[in-house]
Amino acid sequence: MGSEKSRIRSLRIRRLTPLFFILPCILILLAVSIFPLLYSLWLSFNSWELAMGLPKRFIGLGNYIRLFQDVRFWLSMKNMGKVLLFGVGSQFLIGFTLALLLNREFRSRTLVATLFLLPTMIAPVVIGCTWRQIYHYSYGPLNYFLQATRLSGGINWLADIKLALPSIIISDTWEWTPFMMVVLLAGLQSIPVDLQEVAAIDGASRWQIFWHITLPFLKPIIIVVILIRAMDAFKLFDLVVLLTRGGPGSSSETVAYYNYLSAFKHFSMGYAAAMSYIQLVVIIIIANFFLRFLRE
Amino acid sequence: MGRKILGLTVCVALLVSLVGGVVVAQAKEVTLTVVGDAGHNLRPFEWYQDDFFKKFGVKLKVIGVPFAETYEKMKIEFVTHTGAYDIVVVFPKFMGDFAGNGYLVDLDEYAKKLDPKMDDVTPGYGKLYCKYGGKLYAVPFDGDVLSLYYRKDLFNNETEKAAFKAGYGYDLKPPATWKEYLEVAKFFTRKKGEKLGGEVLNRDFYGTAFYGQRDWAWAWWGNRFGSLGGVYFDEKTMEPAINSKAGVDALNDMIAIKEFCPPDVLAFGYEELKDAFLNGQTSMVIQWPCVGKKGADPEQSKIVGKVGVAGVPGGMVKGKLYRRAMMPCGRVLAVTKDSKYPWEAYQVIQYLTTVTSLDDVSTAETGLDPYRYSHFAHPEAYEMFADVESAKIYLAGVEANMEVGYPELTIPGAAQYDDVLGLEITKALAGEKSAEVALNAAAKEWTEITKRFGLKEQRKLYQALVKGWREAGLWK
Repeated sequence: MGSEKSRIRSLRIRRLTPLFFILPCILILLAVSIFPLLYSLWLSFNSWELAMGLPKRFIGLGNYIRLFQDVRFWLSMKNMGKVLLFGVGSQFLIGFTLALLLNREFRSRTLVATLFLLPTMIAPVVIGCTWRQIYHYSYGPLNYFLQATRLSGGINWLADIKLALPSIIISDTWEWTPFMMVVLLAGLQSIPVDLQEVAAIDGASRWQIFWHITLPFLKPIIIVVILIRAMDAFKLFDLVVLLTRGGPGSSSETVAYYNYLSAFKHFSMGYAAAMSYIQLVVIIIIANFFLRFLRE
Repeated sequence: MGRKILGLTVCVALLVSLVGGVVVAQAKEVTLTVVGDAGHNLRPFEWYQDDFFKKFGVKLKVIGVPFAETYEKMKIEFVTHTGAYDIVVVFPKFMGDFAGNGYLVDLDEYAKKLDPKMDDVTPGYGKLYCKYGGKLYAVPFDGDVLSLYYRKDLFNNETEKAAFKAGYGYDLKPPATWKEYLEVAKFFTRKKGEKLGGEVLNRDFYGTAFYGQRDWAWAWWGNRFGSLGGVYFDEKTMEPAINSKAGVDALNDMIAIKEFCPPDVLAFGYEELKDAFLNGQTSMVIQWPCVGKKGADPEQSKIVGKVGVAGVPGGMVKGKLYRRAMMPCGRVLAVTKDSKYPWEAYQVIQYLTTVTSLDDVSTAETGLDPYRYSHFAHPEAYEMFADVESAKIYLAGVEANMEVGYPELTIPGAAQYDDVLGLEITKALAGEKSAEVALNAAAKEWTEITKRFGLKEQRKLYQALVKGWREAGLWK
């Protein structure tokens, strides 16, 4: 009897032992991820104006209604759409082109690929400060080059409402194209070479090989890398702060920046939480859209 | 056995004295954390570290945060009661929020023990920017008021004077009205290759510039708005009045002047605006008093000896010239409620606002500006000027603008009101909307903000603020 009890106890301990090992991780995850997620969801149904030191007040869907009526929020979402379409789109096209070019043997290929990777390895704050200097109207090298080559008298990169957001997109593209390139290059290098050789022997043109073999093999990787960049681009904040602070007007204000202002400038915590959840829903929709293609 | 006991006793005694010594040493050394907008205005905290240690036994850890982010950086620490800061360098517009929400120490009792000499402070700063609810929560550190700086060499140039007179029918002089300001700016805007002051320009030259970034653009609008008789709210109803005729005319004037500013003026913050003038790119600029003293410093200015100072232009109200000069920014020193060493912190800020203040405001190495009568009474301290007479002229110009100072909103929520106003003003300046549409949108959002914060409470606070402005002689 006694030995049966101790056997059961030792079995229980053995079953629980893995749990004890992962318990610290679970607790940390609960504390830094799950709890804030649930707390902020609850907060989104409250009005909490910290600027006035007012206490939390349950208002149901009040923040969400205000959000749907907030023109500034929809303008920032529109700006975000432009970043996704033109920014991520350019990063994909340029990154894919570079990957195709690098997917062949040539001298110093490794060095060239490493140099291309440099922008992604630089701290975003450094990139922002550097591009601010590059874009400077009077003293920036870009306008100097344009004036020296008589291509233009000088472009108002950061203070023109039509150019502020494109300027941010250009900087973002410069920073993240190497990421696209390296992922797509890895994908290209995983395509079985014999398939392409067989197709070539059978008389397929380069374009046919690319369209019927390369692309289909690469499709899952393309979808994943675009999805990752899209989710990342949705959080575009550092370049906005360093280059334009959302201006002039709100022409370059992204949803992440407006969310930051709502939470940490206006201290409307409930409203900012609601905004975060709307963003989450949008990202989930975008992710599902891409994942559907992946499944197909 | 005896030897063992003796050895053990000696070890224990050594250990206790070592630990005790460390504890005592730590107890004597106090480190205070200071936070303020990064850059030249935090230099005094570094300069007098030895003094603070010798006199008060404190060391300072100085943290600089971005100019446009001081509010949120401080507010987060206050709300979460981290106790991260002991001394804060605050923009007065946040005093309503910080003092009203109980984040700052009431300094009245400390002031009785160690006098901050508030009688020597000009009324705007002393009565308005340092007090809340009748209590002293801060001491002044930087007296900001906008002034007009102009290139006196160009304004005194005979060729330019003759050309201006021929074109506009009156003598070239620092503009007294906004209409004249526009005309002078237009006159001096020249392309590369044209002549200016007898010399051929090797780059484009502009009439003027303004602060174009949305965090403070509203202050440059405010000069015009105030001088046209504008008020922020209706005192009785708390209806926003920023979209009145005064507001719309002020913004339209700013839109008109943009044509004679550098093309990237909407990206101008403090540094860009200062540098545009001090690098010789514009004929005039309206900016903080530090531009006047930095203009006389050869290490920071390419136009040394060429900087004149005048009153900010005014508007015509009932047939009379009415000048108002915005008093944006400014800095006051406060002690945080969460500080473990409030008395030590107060000693430091009292020292800076009294003992060293003249040195701090009279050097070109800081952006700190005069705020005490004694600062204006000692022009000889401003050594960057070629002579005392030049310093006197500079100080007289600043003082004249201070007398017509137009205060900024300092009720709780000021950060939100300013953010919305700045956003809409820059939208109009960028051509996204007309002045009227922009200010109507701002007024609508101001109404929503007031509703969220509580109309009755905000009205009460605004009425108290206006009362204080009247008592300080700043609300006509």
